[in-house]
Amino acid sequence: MKRIALLALIAACGGKYQAPPPVDSIALPDGSQLKPYDPAQPGQARPQGLAQAAGRVYVTLSNQRDGDPYPVNAGPGFLAAFVPSTSAPPMLIDLGGADGHQCQNPGSVRASADGYLYSPCSGNFTGTDTARAIVEVNPLSNTVTRRAAIPDGRVPNGIAATARKIWTGDAYTTTVFSIDRATFTADPTPPVPVDCEKTAKGFSYVADVMIIGVDLYALCGSDISGALYRLDPDTGEVKAKTTVGMTNPTELAGLDDGRILVVNTGDSTLWLVTPSGGTLTSQKVLQFSGKNAALQDVRAFGHIVFTVNSASNTAQRIDLDAQGGPKVVGEAFFGLGANPYNILPLDDTQAIVSNRGTNTIAAASWK
Amino acid sequence: MPPSRALGRYIISLALLAVPAARAQEPGETIEVEGERPKGSTRAPGAAGTVIDLAQFGGEVRSVAELLLTAPGVSVHSLGGPGQAATLSLRGASADESLVFLDGIPLQGPGGGAVDLASLPATLLDRMVVSRGVLGARFGAGALGGALELLPRAARSSWTGGAELSAGSFGTRRAAFDLAMPIGSGSAIVALQGDRTSGKFEFARQITPEIAGAPYYGFARENADSTRGSGLARITQQLGSDTAIDLLLQGSAGNRGLPGSAGAPTTRSRQSDRGGLAGLGVRGDSDGFAWSARASGRIDGIEMRGLQGYGDCEDGTPDCPRLHQTSSSARGEGELILPAGSSQRLRLLLSGGGEWVRGGYTGAHRREVLAVAASDDMALPLGFSLHPALRLDKVGKDAGVSPALAAQWRPGPGHPLQLRAAWGFSFRAPTFSELYLERGGVAPNPDLEPEHAWSIDAGAEWRTALLTLSGNVFWSTYRDLILYQLFPPGRVKPLNVGQARIAGLELQIVVPLPGRFIGEVSYSFLDAVNRRDGHSLPYRSPHRVFARLAHRGDRVEGYGEMSFTSALPRNAFDTAFVDRALLLNAGAGVRTIGPVWLDVEVKNLLDDRTLEDVFQYPLPGLSIAVIARARL
Repeated sequence: MKRIALLALIAACGGKYQAPPPVDSIALPDGSQLKPYDPAQPGQARPQGLAQAAGRVYVTLSNQRDGDPYPVNAGPGFLAAFVPSTSAPPMLIDLGGADGHQCQNPGSVRASADGYLYSPCSGNFTGTDTARAIVEVNPLSNTVTRRAAIPDGRVPNGIAATARKIWTGDAYTTTVFSIDRATFTADPTPPVPVDCEKTAKGFSYVADVMIIGVDLYALCGSDISGALYRLDPDTGEVKAKTTVGMTNPTELAGLDDGRILVVNTGDSTLWLVTPSGGTLTSQKVLQFSGKNAALQDVRAFGHIVFTVNSASNTAQRIDLDAQGGPKVVGEAFFGLGANPYNILPLDDTQAIVSNRGTNTIAAASWK
Repeated sequence: MPPSRALGRYIISLALLAVPAARAQEPGETIEVEGERPKGSTRAPGAAGTVIDLAQFGGEVRSVAELLLTAPGVSVHSLGGPGQAATLSLRGASADESLVFLDGIPLQGPGGGAVDLASLPATLLDRMVVSRGVLGARFGAGALGGALELLPRAARSSWTGGAELSAGSFGTRRAAFDLAMPIGSGSAIVALQGDRTSGKFEFARQITPEIAGAPYYGFARENADSTRGSGLARITQQLGSDTAIDLLLQGSAGNRGLPGSAGAPTTRSRQSDRGGLAGLGVRGDSDGFAWSARASGRIDGIEMRGLQGYGDCEDGTPDCPRLHQTSSSARGEGELILPAGSSQRLRLLLSGGGEWVRGGYTGAHRREVLAVAASDDMALPLGFSLHPALRLDKVGKDAGVSPALAAQWRPGPGHPLQLRAAWGFSFRAPTFSELYLERGGVAPNPDLEPEHAWSIDAGAEWRTALLTLSGNVFWSTYRDLILYQLFPPGRVKPLNVGQARIAGLELQIVVPLPGRFIGEVSYSFLDAVNRRDGHSLPYRSPHRVFARLAHRGDRVEGYGEMSFTSALPRNAFDTAFVDRALLLNAGAGVRTIGPVWLDVEVKNLLDDRTLEDVFQYPLPGLSIAVIARARL
């Protein structure tokens, strides 16, 4: 009788996926292990983007030391590979090439449909240094397989891989441009403008680019607006556009039903964008409290959404289908000074975050 | 924190009791009869003003910032607890647009901009005068919200002195002494104040603020200690029957931790500062006209350690350089006051000097400051008076004209009713920090242009021995506002992009009550709007109420007060707010032996540990202080 009841309970749960519980915290290597250019002045890991591939999680390490006005690239960029459920030390992948200067300051990392990892290296933000690149990593061998140089005057930000192209945004000119995946060189076609409304003396930027469904999406942010563009993934032709929020969108994520989520740090909002035919329609679905507003990332697992806030050192679990509309149903705190930047759901009740402040990977569980 | 249902009850009960304390003579204490004190600034007749007499607050441990909150139209932005930085905002204007003067000498912060009120010693002052409105014609370029005049203790012609010692929660201590004496053909006063606090207080914070009703957790504030010493010397000598010379020296030095916000504490950051000013003036009058000439200068230096653009660091390491910054100014000015017939008084002013800033993150810069001003005070028939003023300021490359006109009407001499109205237009030149500071996420902009503003206001006052009732309404418009905007990659840069409209209402009631009680209530309403998009301007509280009931007797004294600030926007989009705050303070004291008074004061009686300032610096909960003071 007890056995039947147990089976009935499992059946009722629908057999949903449950990831192995992640360990509470994984320490990332200190700067001395990250090939500092000057051993007397090592940087810190400063983790950012998270992606899953080949049964592991990969996190970009900026490898910077604090400087003024900008952080200083203390060594080459790295990827650290780890398994969230084990406390084994992360495996390091040096993205800097033979001279250590072919990739600095990697931000996001994303996996392509065919299993490769791609990461944009922003260098020192001058737009002229040679450490700006798109790097390709084979997660099966954990090696850098190719590197594409970035044309002068552009600083890559965000990454989206299609079958034929790698798209990235230019942080300075509010455009997107592509790398040919076959030749792994920048396409000669002009960058595609994806600008959004801004004040007369304000500026706009590309917050991120992403493949969702079969389309390329680019997120533009400015001091007074946000805009989401849908583009042709082969040509970059703009197919649709919609406004999202009042200011400073930071990140976007795709749902499994084709809709798109956008978080705005400026006005502490979550927006839901619905593609329909040739148009995009957007609506604000959640207003965060705005206390400690610094929303940095959004991801989804089914209709459960996860966001991360670097000012309150928290991650939020949001039920999109909650009665009365999307609602924060759980929140996790990672400690003062943790400064979480990116989040990766492991299932609909567990996630890990990359803490830039404490140089750790920390787990959140809402079981 | 859930809204308090008791709030309305507190406000109403305190409002009914409401009050400022006229100071009673204390046994053994010398009171100099100086006649009726001005009800506003002598520099800005016809302007909306409030005088804060520090003698009202004997037996209370008060900072300049706390004292200012008793006046309508004033907001103070404080970065945390006792000893931490605080800046002034008048009528919703920024700290850079709210000028501060010590005995007529303009003060500036070490960055060449906003003044840190925490560096100003309260016990060295006699009174403070708050003048509100666009008052560039009266106080010089920059006074777009108004001006605060700090009037230090005056020299006295007899031997008098006083001492105050206090100790309280969070290791907070204060010692203050002053001594006035006859000297030569005049008088002198020397005053000293020392303050120290460990700043270690407990505060409560939701660690999951997005969950409705989430519990609060306790934290301890670290690296918030502060030590400060200040001194003042003032000498007045008669040079002849109609001529006198005044010398003022003031200095202050302090050291404090910079604890950072509640979410990102900085346990290794420190700041030390020192500053001083000197003023030497000669004044005289003869045949109905008065004249004065004055030379003054000030210098302020600041050093920050263990601080980086995005957090703290280990002082002394290669990537953690110390930040030094010094700003100074010197100027000379001459003023002539001429009677023009029996009903007019002309005032002419010529002023010139320079300002300097030097620092690792600004470089070295200087600029000249020149001003020519003329004003007239005209008494007209039927109880009217007019106060036109015009001032030309040149601040470095920026020059501008500040006209103003104020009018007053009183039904008859001595009549309790007075009506007033004023208009003013002026500008504010960019500060050295806005022009040149490059640090952390802040980029400089040497191409900045001045901000401009005009305002119109009107008010009425009813003043009798039993009641003082005053009210003002105002409307201000700002353009070319300097706002920090995003600047790639990931920085902010000041740009002339803002346009704003700020309107408001200021009310104050003062009621002497039986039994030597005095009640006071002030209320400020602000409607501050970004004219570009219609959203509220951040960090401006729409409603602020202050109420106080005080008793000053021969043997017993005490007070109770309430300060309420409504929720205020934290961002420029009306989507994030700082919670409203209610503070209740009370104190009581007795005269023990001779002139010695012993007081106990309790602040934040509700022990609300969830209070935070606009930058998310936690504020302390309940604190208790014991104060002993004597005056001979």
